[in-house]
Order: sequence, then C-alpha cells, then structure tokens
Amino acid sequence: MGLGLIASRAIRPVNFFSSSRFLLRTIVSKPELQSSAAAADASPEPDLPPRTPVGGARVHFTNPEDAIEVFVDGYPVKIPKGMTVLQACEVAGVDIPRFCYHSRLSIAGNCRMCLVEVEKSPKPVASCAMPALPGMKIKTDTPVAKKAREGVMEFLLMNHPLDCPICDQGGECDLQDQSMAFGSDRGRFTEMKRSVVDKNLGPLVKTVMTRCIQCTRCVRFASEVAGVQDLGILGRGSGEEIGTYVEKLMTSELSGNVIDICPVGALTSKPFAFKARNWELKGTETIDVTDAVGSNIRIDSRGPEVMRILPRLNEDINEEWISDKTRFCYDGLKRQRLNDPMIRGADGRFKVVSWRDALAIVAEVAHQVKPEEIIGIAGKLSDAESMMALKDFLNRMGSNNVWCEGTGTQPNADLRSGYIMNTSISGLEKADVFLLVGTQPRVEAVMVNARIHKTVRANNAKVGYIGPETDFNYDCQHLGTGPNTLKEIAEGRHPFFSAISNAKNPVIIVGAGVFEREDKDAIFSVVETIAKKGNVVRPDWNGLNVLLLNAAQAAALDLGLVPESSNSIDSAKFVYLMGADEVNLDKLPDDAFIVYQGHHGDRGVYRANVILPASAFSEKEGTYENTEGCAQQTLPAVPTVGDARDDWKTIRALSEVAGMRLPYDTLGGIRSRMRMVAPNLLQVDEREPATFGHSLKPEVTQKLNPARFKSAVENFYMTDAITRASKIMAQCSASLLKK
Amino acid sequence: MAHALQRIWNHGRAMRATVCPLSRPFSSDALVQLQPGEIGKVSGIPEEHLRRRVVIYSPARTATQQGSGKLGKWKINFMSTQKWENPLMGWTSTGDPYANVGDAGFNFDSEVAAKEFAERHGWEYVVKKHNTPLLKVKSYAENFKWKGLPKTDGN
Repeated sequence: MGLGLIASRAIRPVNFFSSSRFLLRTIVSKPELQSSAAAADASPEPDLPPRTPVGGARVHFTNPEDAIEVFVDGYPVKIPKGMTVLQACEVAGVDIPRFCYHSRLSIAGNCRMCLVEVEKSPKPVASCAMPALPGMKIKTDTPVAKKAREGVMEFLLMNHPLDCPICDQGGECDLQDQSMAFGSDRGRFTEMKRSVVDKNLGPLVKTVMTRCIQCTRCVRFASEVAGVQDLGILGRGSGEEIGTYVEKLMTSELSGNVIDICPVGALTSKPFAFKARNWELKGTETIDVTDAVGSNIRIDSRGPEVMRILPRLNEDINEEWISDKTRFCYDGLKRQRLNDPMIRGADGRFKVVSWRDALAIVAEVAHQVKPEEIIGIAGKLSDAESMMALKDFLNRMGSNNVWCEGTGTQPNADLRSGYIMNTSISGLEKADVFLLVGTQPRVEAVMVNARIHKTVRANNAKVGYIGPETDFNYDCQHLGTGPNTLKEIAEGRHPFFSAISNAKNPVIIVGAGVFEREDKDAIFSVVETIAKKGNVVRPDWNGLNVLLLNAAQAAALDLGLVPESSNSIDSAKFVYLMGADEVNLDKLPDDAFIVYQGHHGDRGVYRANVILPASAFSEKEGTYENTEGCAQQTLPAVPTVGDARDDWKTIRALSEVAGMRLPYDTLGGIRSRMRMVAPNLLQVDEREPATFGHSLKPEVTQKLNPARFKSAVENFYMTDAITRASKIMAQCSASLLKK
Repeated sequence: MAHALQRIWNHGRAMRATVCPLSRPFSSDALVQLQPGEIGKVSGIPEEHLRRRVVIYSPARTATQQGSGKLGKWKINFMSTQKWENPLMGWTSTGDPYANVGDAGFNFDSEVAAKEFAERHGWEYVVKKHNTPLLKVKSYAENFKWKGLPKTDGN
C-alpha cells in the first residue's frame, strides 16, 4: 500500500502533464457553438448569427421595461431583470452544465458545476445562483471555466461508484454525459470510496444511494412540488446522505418524478429496473388517459411492448411532471387483455369466435329488440372518434340512449362552460382564493393539484374545501362536508364568503363527483350564486370551474352523449358497453343482451354476452379532450394485442353488418363528422374556451339535498380498467394507501 | 490497357449518337418543379407506401436529462405498429419497411424541411405542436425571503 502510494505520487505529475493537452480543449462539445464562439473572439462586433434559446424557450417578461442586456460569449442578449446568469446563457443558446439546478425547483447552488467566468470577477461564479447584471460579460467556454468544471467533476466522481454498466440511468445520465466533457481520463483519488445504505422509498422508486451526488433536487421536489416533507438531508461532508429521517415510504402521488429529476442513478424506477436500456427504446409522443388532465407523455416501447412512460413538457397542462398512476400504469396494458371476439355459450363460458360471427350475432340481436330498448354507454377511456361512431350507430338504430359513464343520468351538456375548467390549468396560478366543492384534486387530478399547490406556495393563496375528510398537501381550510356549507357561503353567512369576495382572482372548482348526485342542478345553481356574489366570473377572469374525472368526459359532453331518459337501464334489452366498467347494471332486466367492447377483461365483462376486443390508448389514434377543454391526440406506440381493433372501426363494421352503414370509413372521414358536431375537437393542442357563460342557464327548481358530498375516487391508484389490471398499481394501493 | 480504353471510348461515342436525340438536355431546365409524391414514384417505392399518414414532430427534451444537444430536430413518425415478436427467437419482426426509418433515419433541421420531404414523397402529414419551455425569473434570494409565519400544524 505504502509503496503503491509513493509510486502513484511519483507518477502523478507525469499524468498531469500528459493531460494538460486535454485541458486546453475548448469545453463546448458542439462544433457549431465552437465555431460561433471562435467568430465572436475574432470580431467583437455583434455580427453573429442569431442564436435561439435552448430548447426554443420563450422568455417571460413581466415588465418589458425591466429588460437588461448582457453578453454571453460576446453575444448580446436581452433578458428580464433578475434572471440568473445561467438563464441568460440559456436565452443565448448556451447550455450550461448543471446538476443541482432545475428550472422548476428553487435554486440550491450546491453542485458548483455551472461555474462560468464573468469579466472583472476574480473567481469563476456559480451561474445558477448569480443574478445577471446589466452589461455583464459572461464567458462560458474559457479555460478558466473549463478548469473549474473539471475540478468540480473530479470531486463529484471521487465518491461516485464506477457502475455505469449496471446502472439503469446509464445512457441517460447527466453525470455520465458531463463526465464525457469534463471528466478526467483517470482518477487521482486513492482512498476508499464511500458507500451509503440504500433507502426503501416504496414500490416505485429504487434507490442506490451510493450513487447520490447530493444535488438535493429530490428533496426540493418533494417539498416544493409534491408537497410532502418526506425527504431530507442528513449529516455533513462525506457523511451527507439523502433520506427519510426515519424508515418511511415516500407517500406522494408525484413520487415517480424524482426518478426523472435525479441527475444520476441514485433514484431509478423500480418496476423498470434492469428491463431495458434507454437507447433500445422507441419514444412515441402521446397523451395520457388515466385522468382528465391529459398529461403529455412519451411512451417508450421496445418492439411490441410498452417499457415505460415518461412525461413530456407542456407548460399549460402538466409542466414536466406526471402522476404515479400515469407513469406506472403501463404494466396493466399487458395483463388481462381481451384479444379475440368471444361469445358466451349456454354453459356460461366464453367461446372464441371469428369477427364475422360475433358481429353477425350482435347485429341480429340489435334488430330483434325495440329501438328504445337499446342503450349504449361509453367508457371512461373512450376516444372522441369511437364515441361519435357509437352515437351515430345507435341513433341509426333508432335509440338515443347513449352516454358516457361518470357524467350522471342527466348531464348538462348544453353549456360548455358548465363542464370544463374555465380558468385553464395554467390560469390557476393567478388565483388567490380557491373554493373546492366536493372535489379532492389530490386524487382526482394530480396535475391540477400540483398547480394549486404551486399557487399556494407562490402567493399564499387561501384554499377552502367542502367535502369529506381528506388529505391535502397544502394549507387548506375544511369548511364543511355537505351542501349546507355551500348554501351558507352563498347567503354570505359563512366567513369564507368574505375571502371570496375580497379576492382578486377567486377560483371555485366543483368536482365531477357532483354530477352523480340527484340534486346536482341545485348545487350548481348555489355555486353560481356564490360566483355571482363573489364576482368570480368577470370579463377578464373566469374562476368558475368543473374538474372532470375521466379522459372521455369532456369530449362525450361536447359530442352530446346525453341519455334521452334517465332510467333507460331499467327497461333495456340490448346494452352496448364501449369499455364501460363502472355502470351500475343491477337494475338491468335479466334477459338483456350485453355487448362489451373493450381492451381489458374488467368488471364490464362479468355480465357480457359478447366480447369485442378493442385497442388501448397506447395502440390507437384517438382524440381526447382534457378537463380544460384542450383537445389532444394519442398516437399508436405499439401494435394491438391479438385480434383487437380500434373502437370506431368495430362500430363501423357492425353498422354495415346491421345494414345501417355509417358514412365514414377512414379516420379522416370520422373526424370530419366530428367537426360537424364539435369543431373544437379538431383544434388539436389548442385550448378552446367556452363561449357562453352560466348566465344563460334556466332557473332551477330542484331542492338541495343536505347529504354529504362523497369522494369520487376511492383508490387513487386504481380508477380504470388499465390501472386495475396493473400489478404495480396493486402494490401501490397495498403499501401506500392509508388503511 | 490502351486498347480497352479505346473500346470504351468508341462505345461511348456510339451510345451518345443513339441516346442524345431522345434524352432531355439536362442543362437547360435544371430547376424542375417536382410534383407532390413524384420522388416516391420515381424511386420505385411500392404503391401502398406512397400514401401514408405521417406525423411531423419535434421530439421533446427527455425528462431524465438536462442536456439540449438533441433538441430542435424535426422527425417523422410513421405510426408503424405492424410488428410482432418472432416466435423463433423472440426478436421483433415487422411488416413495414418504414418501421425503423422515422425514428432512426430522419432528422430535419426545420419543420419546413420535414414538410417538404413528406410532400415530395406524397405522404399525408400532420404537424404536432412543439411545446417549448417558458423561462421565468428565478433568484437564489428567493430561498431567504420572508414568507410569513411558519405553519403551526406541525407538519
């Protein structure tokens, strides 16, 4: 050992000299940036090609007069006053290496990787924490900056294990990437590397804490975005560890995001562990359907299999986060799938038949019953195309009893403002008072809850909640459990009324669970009274919102999937369930014929007579409208299972077999039919606000029922056919839900 | 050697004499306007692949990484799901010649370039909106700002 040390010390200067050539290399590895930087050095005049901000970022100027000009590598940029040096570099199109800095978290400034040189500053500065000052000359690719970063990198790699080949982050690791640019080709560290005991954070997040570089992004994420104080840092120096203080699971519905923000492989996905490498995966940018938010996701697939789901940036909807349900429901896509058309025989067992036979039987039975005995129910994961086809088909059969589950028996589909989130999800950030009526956003729409949490943190917004006892991850005033409290507020007798009327931008959010109540019209009219008295709806601000539960709801109401009579189930003889699993079929006559068309053998199958397999959201192109009224389209990532077909194609084929041919046979055809009914569904990726307000509503004569509000979601992790089939979600509900 | 060259020369002269009157003089109309879908037809692509529905998009930044090197590219997604696990080896088979083209083969610098390419090949395309981040003012001093009294619920 002693000899070895002496030997290594003797050799070290030699190594240092041999790597000095390495030090002189310019630090930016992109050739185009290098050349432009070289041009900047040659001519100080701003005769430079225009640079675009990193990732096409837009810059938010709160006050256009507060713009200052700084120079990044000689290139002048205009930025708002108060931005950091790192952000200025980003606007100038220069990507600064970083570990602890994350654009959506507070600034920690502890990794020191983002060091840059600033003219007239004696030392390199940590660009993430340094505010940019007017006229500052920032140099990002000088030998000083490079050497500083190399020094930081050497310290980071000192205690970092050399297990990239067995690390799940390998290939998408910031530390790996940046050590390619700033790491030395050999280590000078001869002592032992430290090791840290792994923590158990639950069934979703795998920890290898030895790999941790203490960037504290996960700690900041947990307290700032997820709103749980579970994670923290313990110890100092080389004894510093990230942990949960006591043995505790991370009980947040956003916990999966720490996997993404971890710049190294310390926090990785437990279900995805050792399943695939990221360069083997094919990404498909699509939309999530497990709740009504429509988070933007990327489905990573390998061959015919979905391997994982990652969030995709959308500032208006989910920022950069997704809920655990969205992220980990994918294993449900492989289990309990229906892959062949089946008919229930006389012995009660299902028999596999051909599509031709199955459709012939369905068409025959549909013609045997009276038109008013036919009903169709769309499921919570249905896309707009298939709901359009279902409605058109049943209308041609003479029935108008078509609805979407979860919208109640008498949905109000006339005024669009009565069922969408009028404030828009990003608009919630401007609010200062929230009144949540019968909704628990934490389980119903996690991303909406994250926005509310963000608002509460940022401008101390006040939150009042009416509904059953529940957990909130922000300060919330529990006002009451039933509509009586609502009435008190409407009559101005409740102290919260003054909070609403004094607020600048008050927001009322009514949960879609209210739709299932008998007295929903009365509740909505009381809410509208509060809105009127509290000045919630103004020309410049619409704070009256409905938070929907399911991905299909908004589109279903837009397309007018409203049942003709509210008790049509009692007399139905032919029921077409298009993925509907949560309909109460107890009142259905025993001799009713049930067709279940869907992708999972879930609750709806128990009574079905015929099963028609369909494709899941990851396998089809479909339009979904989210709760704020923004239509988005899914794209197919993987092939369908077995003999399954897209929902609308099955209905189109059935209509032909039944002799009622629907006039469209392409996706373009059905979309142009949708354009006639609801043109906003074709405005993809754009939020279409409601045009008419609540003032057009007729007078309500219903009496308010004092019964308490019920919680709409019993188990956050299992809300639909896909998540109920998922093993990971089952583990989550077993270990994370409070008993 | 010289003999062989002589033979080729003669052959070339004979060819030119026969071909030239028929061939188009390429130099005079170099700027030929391409019809939509013409490139596909000329390059011998089968009929069923000349009319495909494709999606043009710019890949979002990977959530797991902060680097921006792969950003700003435009890609074409062929929505190819015609693939299956081969029962012999468990490898993925595909019935679609474009299955791996979109992901691996195409990289366009701009949306316009991708659109032009799709037009020339006669593909029916949809362009997906590219979501960009919004930079807001952040400051380190925010950490130490007075935010009212601490919460009392012992959380």
